[in-house]
Amino acid sequence: MSVDIRIDPILCRGHAICALFFATGVDLDQWGFGKVVLARAETPKDVRRAYRAAAACPNGAFVVRERQEARAQPVA
Amino acid sequence: MTTLPGLTVPDAEGATAPEPAVLLGLAGFGETRSPDPRIGGVGDPGTLVLAGPPAGTRGGGLDGHLATWGPLPGVDGAGVRALLRASALDGRGGGGFPLIRKVETARLAGGTPVLVINASESEPASFKDRTLCGERPHLVLDGAALVATSLGVDEVVVHLHRAAGSPAPLLEVAIAERRRAGVADPRWRLSAGPDRYVSGESSAVASFVDGGEARPLFTTHPLAVVGPSGRPTVVSNAETVAQLAVLVRTGPDVWAARGEPSSPGPRLVTLTGAVDRPGRVLEVSGQATIGDILLAGGLVAPPAAVLVGGYAGAWILGDEAWQTPFTRDALTAVDAGPGCGLVGVLPHGACALVETARLVRYLAGESAGQCGTCVAGLPRLADACEALAEGDLRKRGVRRMVALGDVVLGSGACGHPDAVVRLLRSMLHVFEDDVVGHMAGHPCRGADHPPVFTVPEVDVAIGRDDPREWT
Repeated sequence: MSVDIRIDPILCRGHAICALFFATGVDLDQWGFGKVVLARAETPKDVRRAYRAAAACPNGAFVVRERQEARAQPVA
Repeated sequence: MTTLPGLTVPDAEGATAPEPAVLLGLAGFGETRSPDPRIGGVGDPGTLVLAGPPAGTRGGGLDGHLATWGPLPGVDGAGVRALLRASALDGRGGGGFPLIRKVETARLAGGTPVLVINASESEPASFKDRTLCGERPHLVLDGAALVATSLGVDEVVVHLHRAAGSPAPLLEVAIAERRRAGVADPRWRLSAGPDRYVSGESSAVASFVDGGEARPLFTTHPLAVVGPSGRPTVVSNAETVAQLAVLVRTGPDVWAARGEPSSPGPRLVTLTGAVDRPGRVLEVSGQATIGDILLAGGLVAPPAAVLVGGYAGAWILGDEAWQTPFTRDALTAVDAGPGCGLVGVLPHGACALVETARLVRYLAGESAGQCGTCVAGLPRLADACEALAEGDLRKRGVRRMVALGDVVLGSGACGHPDAVVRLLRSMLHVFEDDVVGHMAGHPCRGADHPPVFTVPEVDVAIGRDDPREWT
């Protein structure tokens, strides 16, 4: 299973806890706001870390979603 | 910035300098020319979207509209979608996203879509949507009704700003005319939102019409898949739908032939800066260059540079802009884009760095104050840009500014911070020599020039405890 990772920049308050749990997937800027560098976690280890980071974020800004199947083509 | 070449400071006295037009070799400047058939204002011959009664007459009301265009042809949803596909109509609000993709995505997503026509035109110097809603309201409403048909919805929200000068009263008159005449229309709902720059962004508009704040949203799906109401939400610019109302009558081929493959159909542009009538709206067809547009639109002096696409747009040097066609491909080739159609003229004697600094400060103040990097980063970028314009920034400071821009880019919920960074990058790239001169502390020749691109006053500090109203 792979997951898509995003940080909601509106909710993020720069606590930087995500980087503690998922250092390889998140970069911090000079204020501590997170930037996702691994937008799609593929390995079980990375997926686990991503979920931990999401659970630890005090603002619920760390969003992990199971990867969706490719969207069907629109019909006319 | 390490590759900046050394600067040879131009002679500041410059009294005997040759005429800039001669210097730049601007074809056609100063000549008397017959009117360019590819360019025209409201009611001018040769125009397509702006064809009909002259300016100031509201397009002659519904009667004038019907005399020009006749009634809306009976087309069903599949027919409208076929027209959107055949014409490849691109969004005219700034993003340039094809309308057919929004419509098809919303249909595929399921549920009853929300349709919002965005006529709020938050770009302070742009007047094309206001002009359309004021002078050609029935084209906008016809087009909105067509998109409603293509989506199978029976309500359309038309979103505007509530500030003075909003064309809302004119649209209300137009809607009443249609009702009296028994035009088979969807239900219209006019929405009036706060008069702020980012409030015109599509997710901010979607949020506001759903009863929320007119601030951009963090979205994990496109609005056309799911909007804030939980329903698929299509937000389309007023000019985009007016173009649809035209092409349904002319046929997509005739319409598209007014443009070229990368930007089909005619486009509306607004002139601003050093032109004789800032705020003038022109319809442009074919391969007309920015030079052609400026010649037709009343240029007061040859441009030193042109700001294209909006206040958060891109700079092009005057002589390069002069021969650049106003098409998506040609503008992209010079690192710009049509955006909302703004063409701003920077005259010789004004300083692009000073102008950019004012725009960056304005845009920083117009942040919604939601995302950390926008709140923390944009004011610092504005500080740095002002310091550079005043000759107080050295190489290290410029490097810091560039690095800060890299941090800010792509970090917000919406594209606002990105647009500011791109404007700064455009300035650094296009005016490299000027930047080097300012870094060396040479006196700026444009420091005393009156502001060219004026901005509304932003009088509050952005941040988490922002006192501005967003509802």
